[in-house]
Order: sequence, then structure tokens, then C-alpha cells
Amino acid sequence: MIEIGHFALVLAFALALVQATVPLVGTRIGDERMMASAGTVAVACFALTALSFAVLASAYALSDFSVANVWENSHSLKPMLYKITGTWGNHEGSMLLWVLILTFFGSLVAVFGGNLPASLKANVLAVQGMIGAVFLLFVLITSNPFVRLDPAPIEGRDLNPVLQDIGLAVHPPLLYLGYVGFSVCFSFAVAALIDGRIDAAWARWVRPWTLVAWVFLTGGIAMGSYWAYYELGWGGFWFWDPVENASFMPWLSGTALLHSAIVMEKRSALKIWTLLLSILTFSLSLLGTFLVRSGVLTSVHAFASDPSRGVFILCILVLFIGGSLALFALRASALTPGGLFQPISREGALVLNNLFLTTATATILVGTLYPLVVEAFSQDKISVGAPFFNLTFAPLMVPLLILVPFGPLLAWKRGDALAAAQRLMAAFALALLAVLITYLFIDGASVLAALGAGLGFWLIFGALTDLAVKSGAGSASLATMAKRFAGLPRSMFGTALAHLGLGLTVLGIVGTLGFGAEKILAMRPGETVEIADHTLRFDGIYPVRGPNYTESRGRFYLLDAAGNPKAEISSAKRLFPVRQTTTTEAGIRTMGFSQLYISLGDETTDGGTVVRIWWKPLVTLIWGGALVMMLGGAMSLADRRLRVGAPGRRRKPAEAATAGAT
Amino acid sequence: MTRKQKRFAVILGGLAFLGAATGLTFYALGQKASYFYMPADLASADVQPGQRIRLGGLVEDGTIVRGADASVSFAVTDHESSVKVSYKGVLPDLFREGQGVITEGSFGADGMFIADSVLAKHDERYMPKEVAEGLKEKGVWVESEGD
Amino acid sequence: MIFWVVAVALTLCASLAVLLPLTGRSREVAAAADHDLEVYRDQLAELDRDVARGAIPLAEAEQARAEIGRRIIRIGRSEKNEAQLTTSATGRLVRRVSAAAVLAVPLVSWGLYAGIGSPDLPSQPLAARLQKNPAQSTVDELVARAESHLAANPNDGRGWDVLAPIYVRMQRYSDAAAAYRHAIRLLGSTAARQSGLGEALANAAQGMVTADAQAAFEVARSLDPANPKANFYLALALAQEGRKDDAKAAWQAMFAELPSSSPWRQVVAQALAQTGENQAGDAGKMEPTGEAAADAAASMSEEDRNAMIETMVAGLDERLRNDPLDEDGWMKLMRSYLVLGRKEQAEGALKRGVEAFGGESEQARKLAAFGESLGLSLKE
Repeated sequence: MIEIGHFALVLAFALALVQATVPLVGTRIGDERMMASAGTVAVACFALTALSFAVLASAYALSDFSVANVWENSHSLKPMLYKITGTWGNHEGSMLLWVLILTFFGSLVAVFGGNLPASLKANVLAVQGMIGAVFLLFVLITSNPFVRLDPAPIEGRDLNPVLQDIGLAVHPPLLYLGYVGFSVCFSFAVAALIDGRIDAAWARWVRPWTLVAWVFLTGGIAMGSYWAYYELGWGGFWFWDPVENASFMPWLSGTALLHSAIVMEKRSALKIWTLLLSILTFSLSLLGTFLVRSGVLTSVHAFASDPSRGVFILCILVLFIGGSLALFALRASALTPGGLFQPISREGALVLNNLFLTTATATILVGTLYPLVVEAFSQDKISVGAPFFNLTFAPLMVPLLILVPFGPLLAWKRGDALAAAQRLMAAFALALLAVLITYLFIDGASVLAALGAGLGFWLIFGALTDLAVKSGAGSASLATMAKRFAGLPRSMFGTALAHLGLGLTVLGIVGTLGFGAEKILAMRPGETVEIADHTLRFDGIYPVRGPNYTESRGRFYLLDAAGNPKAEISSAKRLFPVRQTTTTEAGIRTMGFSQLYISLGDETTDGGTVVRIWWKPLVTLIWGGALVMMLGGAMSLADRRLRVGAPGRRRKPAEAATAGAT
Repeated sequence: MTRKQKRFAVILGGLAFLGAATGLTFYALGQKASYFYMPADLASADVQPGQRIRLGGLVEDGTIVRGADASVSFAVTDHESSVKVSYKGVLPDLFREGQGVITEGSFGADGMFIADSVLAKHDERYMPKEVAEGLKEKGVWVESEGD
Repeated sequence: MIFWVVAVALTLCASLAVLLPLTGRSREVAAAADHDLEVYRDQLAELDRDVARGAIPLAEAEQARAEIGRRIIRIGRSEKNEAQLTTSATGRLVRRVSAAAVLAVPLVSWGLYAGIGSPDLPSQPLAARLQKNPAQSTVDELVARAESHLAANPNDGRGWDVLAPIYVRMQRYSDAAAAYRHAIRLLGSTAARQSGLGEALANAAQGMVTADAQAAFEVARSLDPANPKANFYLALALAQEGRKDDAKAAWQAMFAELPSSSPWRQVVAQALAQTGENQAGDAGKMEPTGEAAADAAASMSEEDRNAMIETMVAGLDERLRNDPLDEDGWMKLMRSYLVLGRKEQAEGALKRGVEAFGGESEQARKLAAFGESLGLSLKE
């Protein structure tokens, strides 16, 4: 059974080779059958990869330690859920998951691409085939999850309790759906370069794919951030850690792509830029995939520990990033450039958005790779951390965020900034009011923090203004407004929701950083501490026995005004005896959108316990905002605008409808 | 403006913007990147009090002193020389004697290193590889402490 | 057998996936321009919807309509250059490429798989392995079966009691200590269990009698003052603390009281002999090593056991002379010599092993590190 999975993977590689070559020849000589073969082969390739992945997952579920990968990364005593999620909790398995998602997206293009021009579809699938073939070869040769052990060991080696966490289990697949989703945009870009023409359908197709990838990537990043927040016990939600940056860069450039694709679709402008952005976004995704998994980020020398894998990774990066950029340099001039527009216009606003986002991406790239470069060329080891990113990223983001509400209110081609500003007066007044209220009524609020809160509200009210204006506020009666509001295209809701979500996230970040409180102190049982108008009483430390761990649980009571306990919060240190590992379980209590966060430290000599308490106002909005952004993306995806029919007799209603659903 | 002039203006504006961003980036790199040192490196390096650095090494045996409140002091060593560190806060789960750690902060005027963060090895994603490598270079690798 | 059938079937399906579309009838495809036209038509329709809803001003809509119109005209112009005809030459090319593609699928897959696969290895899910007839199971499998039983019934004290000494023999010392602790908790403290716990703890600490281990031995001695294991290790603890004379006295007292049939006599005698040579630290490793031998050796008398180890070690040494590129073998040899208390020979083995692989090789470094962990140094 295991070997069937192994064989299926090899067979998938063979099919990917065919997928990468035959359709390409087909488009060169104009043979319809060769072009059409891409679809069937892509679907078959996905089926085989899925079979292979299912076999590996079942080997994990059944604890088949004759598979080296299972032996290294699993243990028969793991709970079933974590046995299965363990399939992608390691390098080999995660690369197989990556390929699985790649072939899955390829087969989606094949199945729902009926309304694409035949040669575009064939080229896109051929490029997908190339990526698939190279990655399958990488998996088979340097990271094969099906390497066998004979005789098989009787017990697996891994029972790491820190990794047994549902957040960590779901996080990589979401992230990969995002990374790999951008591969479709990349394939479209390269296909256009190969053909030397950009079809009108191009932008219509690239945008939904970007949206899909972007929605998943947003989810993946938010999930990772939340995991670090509650699991590491440090109370932070973003550390500017290289691993986080690796996923944030494609997100930023993907967001830029999302916006430039709108211009391309509506106005046939920015074509070449959009193409380049597609290539760059996927390149950053590749970088993200490899930098995290190969350990290059922690040190250049990690490359040397497994040279064959390292060299292969370098080859892949050079092949796809270098190759596509070279093709771009060669062919971009052959493409017809798009139309022109005034600087003050929707297009202009979107270009500005792109300028800020790509520059921000570049600064993060520099900050992330600079230590590697320094280490490679000198003996110095340096780290670039939060101070650097705060200094470079924030100045870029603030003007962008201020400008966001203007964009959707400007007309295409020739906009009127003054009119847009007038429409935004109400939102501006409300945001100003929010600044004043925050500054005057919240103790210890700095001017900067109050302005930050105002920025969040500005985004939120700006998004609402957009919806109000589009439904005809000011010129129509309430009834017509309601009617128009209900009839607005979903993409408009999508835009507004995404911008609103961004505002919520900004509000959450500002609330946590600007208005939060932190206390570190040693507490003895019975003592109370005040933090941001809340009184906490430390009850003591109690030993608790769990299924495979023992924990010392610190119990705290939240007191009401009269001094009576109204809620219990417990924070714990867990000891897993099998691994002799300790983990910290933070005690979190959510009140509205805010949270009290308690993390337990060591015991002091005089019978107290070190306790770190944070008051984190509005912290949940950080991830709530991301959820709203995802919802906005999903709304946009559901827009009927994306349902373009195929020409001629092949136009069938059912086909057109399913195409819209992708 | 003609088509060409307009494009030129846009490109110029973009370049100016990028230039500003690049300037800011490199200014920030110069200011905010913190160098990594092992205790023995400090003798040869010119580290000013107040300059932000990362200090890595092993927690020296018998040097952990816990204060009455949440403050703690310990020494970080690479078996050549050692540096006294003070820290206030919750130590990582894996913090113990002989453990590889990375502390981040700056030297006070009295030569005491005041850390605002302490990372221990195996902190899942935050493994101080630099410490391991630094120790290997100095020939004091932790795994072979059998003798 | 099933594997080959499935593999052939999969290959067939995959080849068909390539073959079918290539041999199907060639259908007329819409030209790319038609697709563009469709998109533009759709954009016009959308524009009409927006106008109907009042989402955009009429003037703006007119402008947009004119622009889309211009794009439609532009395709009309370029369409004429696109016509392509299939000639007989391309037909031949199509057939050749198709044949190559269809052939490539089985050739590449079977070729690559032959290189990296292990088709004869069946899958071995743990549950199925544990249900096999015990007589055919390996020791490891029996232990695993006991483990899964105990994971389900953690309060089976007798099970832990049986498993604990087996763990010691398998050199899984920390598991052994945990098992002894379970047995003590469930069945109560006896001298045998406490001294076993101490032994496991001491071995887990590479032969050092740690405070935990010492405490366990002391409990054992309080339960049975004549318990030889407890007495032996407590004396060893003295020796390790540097109190050689006290240790010697304790061992001598112990030796005097041991019945002549006791297997401990020789162990104690050896320890006494070694205290003179400052080798007390190694005396803790009295258990023979080598997994296969362990079971057999455990049931023999001490004399037979040592004799057996001697022959085994000699045989291993001989084999490594003829076949020196055996990393595990060298490790086993070093450990065995140490068990026999022959440090020089162990160091000799280390040196020979390193030389066999060449000083700079990875294996040599591994061996050196392993030797270092046993307290051996590579002398020039």
C-alpha cells in the first residue's frame, strides 16, 4: 500500500513532464488536440498526487513506522488528530502537501477554464506542469517522504507536545493555499509572455485567482499570529520574525497585485506592471516556502548541512525567479502597453497603492535578507528586529492608510479629488471626534495613540461612506437608497469590507500598543494587583494532572468593585515527563474585544511566583479584522462580473455559472 | 503635457519615492540592526553603553540570582569569559543553568548587561543557532560534555 | 503481487489520460479574438447594468462604452493575422510528439521508481504488527505490545513490574525508571523495585549514582539490608564522590557477607580490583550491552556471561579487522571493551575506526564524538 503511494507520486512526475511539454508544442504549431491534452493530464496528475498524499496520511494514522518519515515525526501515543496533521508537520510531508495544492489548482484551471482561449489555457497549464515537475522531482530526489525502513522500528520518535496544537496544524495548509494560489497568477503571467499577447480574459482570470490566494494567505498569517500570541506566552502578536516576514511579503505584493489587476481589468492599463507583479508575488511565495523550511533564515550555514537539498532549492529559485524575469525582460516590450490616465483618478490611486505596497515589501525583503548577506560576506552576525521594521514599515503604511478611503470614491480615468474629499467630510469628522474622545477621556492616552485610533476609525468610516455614496446617499430618498444598497454588486461590498477589516486591524494594533498595560511582579497567594481598572487576586498554585502531563496551575480571580470574585482565570506551566518539556499555558480572559493575559513565571525564593499580566485593549480586533478582510475577499469572488461566457456554440449556462464560482 | 513627458514625470516621481524609501531603509539598518556577540567577542569589539546588541552564550552554573520581585540576574558565558546580565520579567520555560540563551539589550554604565528579552534554545521557532555555532567555533560544543 | 497489479493499472490510466485527448477528433477552436470579444461584450452588459442601477454617471458610462468599442475595433483589425492552418508536416510532428509523450509516461515512471522504490516492502501498520502471533514477534514488538496494553491500563502494576527490568536490559533507562516508579506506586515499595529504580536512574545518568538514584538505593537497603544491588551501588556512590577508602570498605564488607553462589561476588571483586586503578567510574556499567546478546546474557551466570561477552567481542574485533567500514560495529566494540573495563583497547578501537574511515570523514567525526561521550579520547 505504501509503495502504491510512492509509485503514484513517480507517475505524477511523469505526467507533469508531459503536461509541461506537449501543450506548449501544441500552442506553437496550433494543434488543438495537443493543447486540450493539458486539461486531462492536469486532472490525472492531481488525482495521482492526491492518492499519494492519502497513502502517506494513512501511514501516519496507522503508525506505519516502516516509513522513515512517519518514524521520525510520529509516535503511536499521539492523539489521532495530531497523527494526521503530523503528515505536513515536517519538511518532506509539507512539500508533498505543497505539490498536492499545486496540482489541485492546476486541475481547477483545467476544469473551470472552459471559457479561456485555448492557447492561453494550454500555456497556463504547461507552466503549472513545469512547476509541478520540478517540485515533484525535488520531493522524490531530496525530500522523499516514502523512504522505507527495514526492519521497521516499533515506536516513532516524535511526541513534541508544543507541536500538538490545532492552530499549528491548520496554519501551514492555509499558508500553502495562499502561496501556491499565486502560482496560478504566475502561470498566467508566463503564459502571456510566451504567447506575446495579453488576452482580454487574462485580467478577469488573474483577479479571482489572486483573490483566492490572498484570502487564504490572510487567514494563514492571522492564524499564525494568533498561535504565537496564545501559545508562546509572550503576549505579542507579531514579532517581525523572519518566518513571519516570509509570509508577509507575498501578502503585501499580493495585495498590490489584487489592486493593479482591477485597473487592468477595467481599463486595460498597467498590463505589464500587473504581469511583473504576478511574477514577483509568486517568487516571494517560493522564497517564503523555502526560507522557512530549509532553515536558511536562521543561518546561511544551515544550507551546508544538507547540500543536495540546498543546491536543489537554489536551482529552483534561480530557474523560476530568474527564468521568468528573463522572459519578462525579453518579451515585455512586445506586449501592447495599456491606456493612459490622469494622476487624480481611480487608476492613479491604485498606482499609488501599488507604489507604497511594493516599497514596503522591498523594505521587509531587505530587512529579512540583510543579516544573511552580512553573514555570508563577513563573520558578523547581526539581527534585524522590530526596531528596524517599525522605523521603515510604519512611515510607509501611515500615508497609505490615510489615502485608502479616497480610492474607491474617485472616478475612473479622470477623478475629482475635491468631490471625494467632500464626500468624506462626515467620515473625517467622525474620526476626528474619535481622536478627541480618546485623547480626553482615556487616561494616559498619548497624542500619537489617539491619532492612531483616529486612523482606524477613519478607515472604518471611510469604507462605510463608500457604501453610502454608492447607494446614492445625499441625492436619493431613503427607500431608493435601500433598494440600491441591496442591488450593489458584491465586489463593491467586498472592497468596503476589506477596507473596513483593515481599519479594525489597525484599531486593534493601536489599542494594544497604545493603550495596553503590562505588569511584571512577584505575587504571593492572596495578594491582589490592579491593572487598567481591573483587580486580580492571586489564589495560589495548584498541581493538576493531565492525560500526558502534569501542570502547576496558577489560579487568579477577577474581582468586582466590592472585592468579590466574578471570574476565574488560570494560567499554567505544563511539564510533559516523556519529553521533559515544559510549556506555558497563558491564561486569557476576553472582555468585549479586549483581553487580560496572564503568563506564569518561575517561583521566587520567598514563596512568591513571578507573574506577567497584560491588559490588551481591543486585541481581538487584530484577527477579527483579518477575518473581515477574508470575508471581503470572498464576497468579491462571488461577484457575477466574473462569469464571462465562452464564445460560440460552447457557451452553456451551466459552464458559465461554475466558472463564476471559482 | 505630452504622453512622453507624462510618463517621464510619473517615473521620476516613482524613483524619487523609491530613493527616499531606500535612504530610510539603510538609515534604519545602520541604526537598528543589532549585532550578535559572544562574551569573549566583547573584548575586541567596541560596544558602547546603550548600544543595542544581542548577547548569546550559556547560562553559567551557579550564577542565577533571583531577586525579591520578578528581577533575576545571571551570567552568560562561552567558557572563555562571562558577562553579568540582569533581566526583569518571565524567563522562558527552558531557561536553566547550562542552557544556551540569547539575550537582547544593552550595557548599562556599570558594565552590567541589561536585557529586555531572553530567548532559550528550543523555543520552538526561536532557536538561537548563533549560540551553537559560536560555541562550535570556540570548540566548546555542548553535546560532548561527557568528559 | 497486488502492488504490481495496481501499479500496472495506474500506469495504464495515466497513459490513457495522455493518449485519449491526443487521438480524439480535432475540434474547431474559437480564435482568441472571439474570446476577447466575449469579454468586451460582457463589459458592455455590465456597464448597462451599472447605468440602470445608477451606479455611475451617464457621461462616464458613455466614455467607457466608447473605450470598449475602440478595443473591439482593435481586435477586428488584428484578427486577420491570426489564421493558422494545419499542414501535413505539422500532422506528422503531432503524431511523433504524441507517441513520445505516451511512451514517456511508463518509461519515466517505471525507470525512476526502479531506482528509488522498494516494491517488496509491505506496509506495516503498528496495530497489525501487534496482533501477530507472539512467538513470531521480536522482543521490540513484544515490548511495544506491553506498552500499548499499559497505555490503555496504566494501573496494571504487575505489567509495569515485568516491563521495568526488560527496559533496563534494552538500555531504555528513563523508561525503566518510569516503569519502576509506576510499579512502586501501584504495588508498593520493595527492595527489588527500589534497587531496580536506582539502577535505572544511575544508568540513565551514564553510570553516575545521582541523588535520586542514591535515595532509591537507600530505601531499598532500609527494606532489605542485605540487598546486594543496593549495597553495591551505594558503595559505588561513595567511590564516585571520591571517598575511595569508604567505598572499598563497604565493598569488602559486602564481599564477606555474600554467599559463594552469588553472581555479585565477581562484580564486587572486579570493582575492588578497579578501585586500586582509579577506574571506579566505569564499574557502574556492569550490564553487558548489545541488544541481541542482552537477553541471552541476562539468564546466564555471571561467569558464563563474561565468557560469552569475551568471545563476542573477540569475534567483533576480528570481523572489523576484515571489514573496517562498519560504523555501528566500531561503536559496539568500543562500548564492549569499556564494559569489560579495558579502556586502552577501547581507545585502540576508536583509533582504528577513525583511521578506517579517514580522519576527516563524517563517520570518523561521529565515532570520535561517540567515543568522547564514553570518556574516550583520540590520542595521537
